[in-house]
Amino acid sequence: MKSPLERALRVFWLLLMVFLYAPLVVVVLFSFNSINSSARFAGFSLEWYQRLFSNDVILSALANTALLAVMSTLIAVVIGALLGYGLYRYRARRMAWLIWLIYLPVIMPDIVFGISEMTFFITLERLFGVLSPGLGTMVIAHVTFQVPFVALLIHARLLALDPQLFEAAQDLYARPWQRLRFFLVPVLWPAIMASVLLALTLSIDDFVISFFTAGPDSTTLPIYVWSAIKKGITPEVNAIATLMIGSVFVVALISLLLRRRSLTGRHLQ
Amino acid sequence: MGAQRPDRGRDKASVVVRGVSRVFPGDLRALDRISLEIHAGEFFTLLGPSGCGKTTLLRLLAGLEVPDAGEVEIGGRAMAGVPAHRRSVNTVFQSYALFPHRNVRQNIAFGLEMQRVSPAAIARQVDEIAELIDIGALLERPVDALSGGQRQRVALARALVNEPAVLLLDEPLSALDAGLRSRLQVDLKRLQQRLGMTFVFVTHDQEEAMVMSDRIAVLDEGRIAQVGSPQAIYERPEDVFVARFMGHENLLAVTRHDAGGVETALGRFEGGFAAGTHLLLRPEALTLHADAPPGSSGNGFLARVEECLYRGAATDYRLRCGEVPIAARVTNAGRSQPGVGDTIWVEVAPDSAATLNARRHTG
Repeated sequence: MKSPLERALRVFWLLLMVFLYAPLVVVVLFSFNSINSSARFAGFSLEWYQRLFSNDVILSALANTALLAVMSTLIAVVIGALLGYGLYRYRARRMAWLIWLIYLPVIMPDIVFGISEMTFFITLERLFGVLSPGLGTMVIAHVTFQVPFVALLIHARLLALDPQLFEAAQDLYARPWQRLRFFLVPVLWPAIMASVLLALTLSIDDFVISFFTAGPDSTTLPIYVWSAIKKGITPEVNAIATLMIGSVFVVALISLLLRRRSLTGRHLQ
Repeated sequence: MGAQRPDRGRDKASVVVRGVSRVFPGDLRALDRISLEIHAGEFFTLLGPSGCGKTTLLRLLAGLEVPDAGEVEIGGRAMAGVPAHRRSVNTVFQSYALFPHRNVRQNIAFGLEMQRVSPAAIARQVDEIAELIDIGALLERPVDALSGGQRQRVALARALVNEPAVLLLDEPLSALDAGLRSRLQVDLKRLQQRLGMTFVFVTHDQEEAMVMSDRIAVLDEGRIAQVGSPQAIYERPEDVFVARFMGHENLLAVTRHDAGGVETALGRFEGGFAAGTHLLLRPEALTLHADAPPGSSGNGFLARVEECLYRGAATDYRLRCGEVPIAARVTNAGRSQPGVGDTIWVEVAPDSAATLNARRHTG
């Protein structure tokens, strides 16, 4: 017999899963609806997906989202990995608090961070005539919140390594660039891949900061969805949401697997 | 690309350390004006308690640490300004430090790859060394699937495959259990004799050091307390620190010294002893008798048996003579042995005692 507490916990668990996943299931289901309704499912159809892929505004939003995600991720992973390595290499100087210094704005409410970034970019533009709102400002904003996550992942991986490995590479005739090419990058590879995927999901997910730093021609999918919803939820929006759910789910899954590998020290051969 | 490779140690090399100091602010591991000469082809051990500086000295030879003063020569070449990756010296690390992203074969090949040896030659040399160390069956395994003893062998192969002029070993057996450890001690010693390579071995275990080494340097707080053969270090330690570190317990303060002998709390011992503050009695050189035997040299004393520790081949006795505890070890050869509570005569053979000093290297 299960105790009443155990049964109550089980019910709580089920409710939690329902409220987490039922909305996603509804969105996915209605994206395949054959009629324009979010209340009644009339039959299966791919009509809304066809419309979606013939809508130039949506396609450009999709392209912006992808471009923003890839550019910001590439920059953030390079900077974040260097930062993570630097903090490890010079750990005797006890500067790990630096990571928290750049992490702090990120755990601040997005809306505060977004408005601050916007104000900052507008000021820069007014004073120096550079950085008008657009993909450029969005990339900078995204890099700022991606970098600490990358740095933390790389730093954690380095701390988990046997420090004698670095000396073994030196002892075995590896010159500085050879240590990077044949030791550091391969040994960090799982953490680098996990960082890439995490940075991608962070960028694709982001609405608030993107919204405040975007320009007229740099609408991303989340921003498009938000403005479309003001006119009412259409199955088309459901279709976009379904595509985003699918892509984020896949990326997050791969990232989780890689992170688990990198933490247990197992590697891709 | 042979020109790119550091000097290879086909000829075994000597190591000279001259007045080397290394200071770590607020740390014990410092070295204080160390001078040493390690002969080519020698199995040389740096022995001492943790914090005595032995690992720091090894890292200075590897080039992983830079001396604050003094110089290091390997194979007659000054090593000042030569970084670790340009020294024909390889290390077996205490943690083994096997690369987790490479399997056993790729680990062993690392040094040769960095020196841009051709893939065919690498494959051949890896196979040869794997056969020598008897790890041929492990070559394609990932390193995290290996046992402690196997890791130790892979680390050894990864260093040896480069044919270094000097092989450095940093407590390579300390992580292994006792049985495996004593087997690998013998294996390692035989391997060194077969290769004729200069080995510099670091350990805190005096028995390990005695079994394996041609010569031992005992380190004490960053200085060399004594250098010599295992026999010299054990039988004729030069100061109390070395004696205690080698496991000696019978150290008697000398109260008077003259040409004919020394006086201690246990009485007078006849013999031509050198001047010293302490008299050392080696436990296995004491013989126990029910009574003072006729024709005894007179170098002996009465003691009471407090404890017998039977060890199979020998028995360890804890004796007490007045207030002075004495340890004795007697080989078990089937004759009747004294028991706890017996009063016995302890005979000190003339060559089993030696005088030594409180601390030799002061100032």
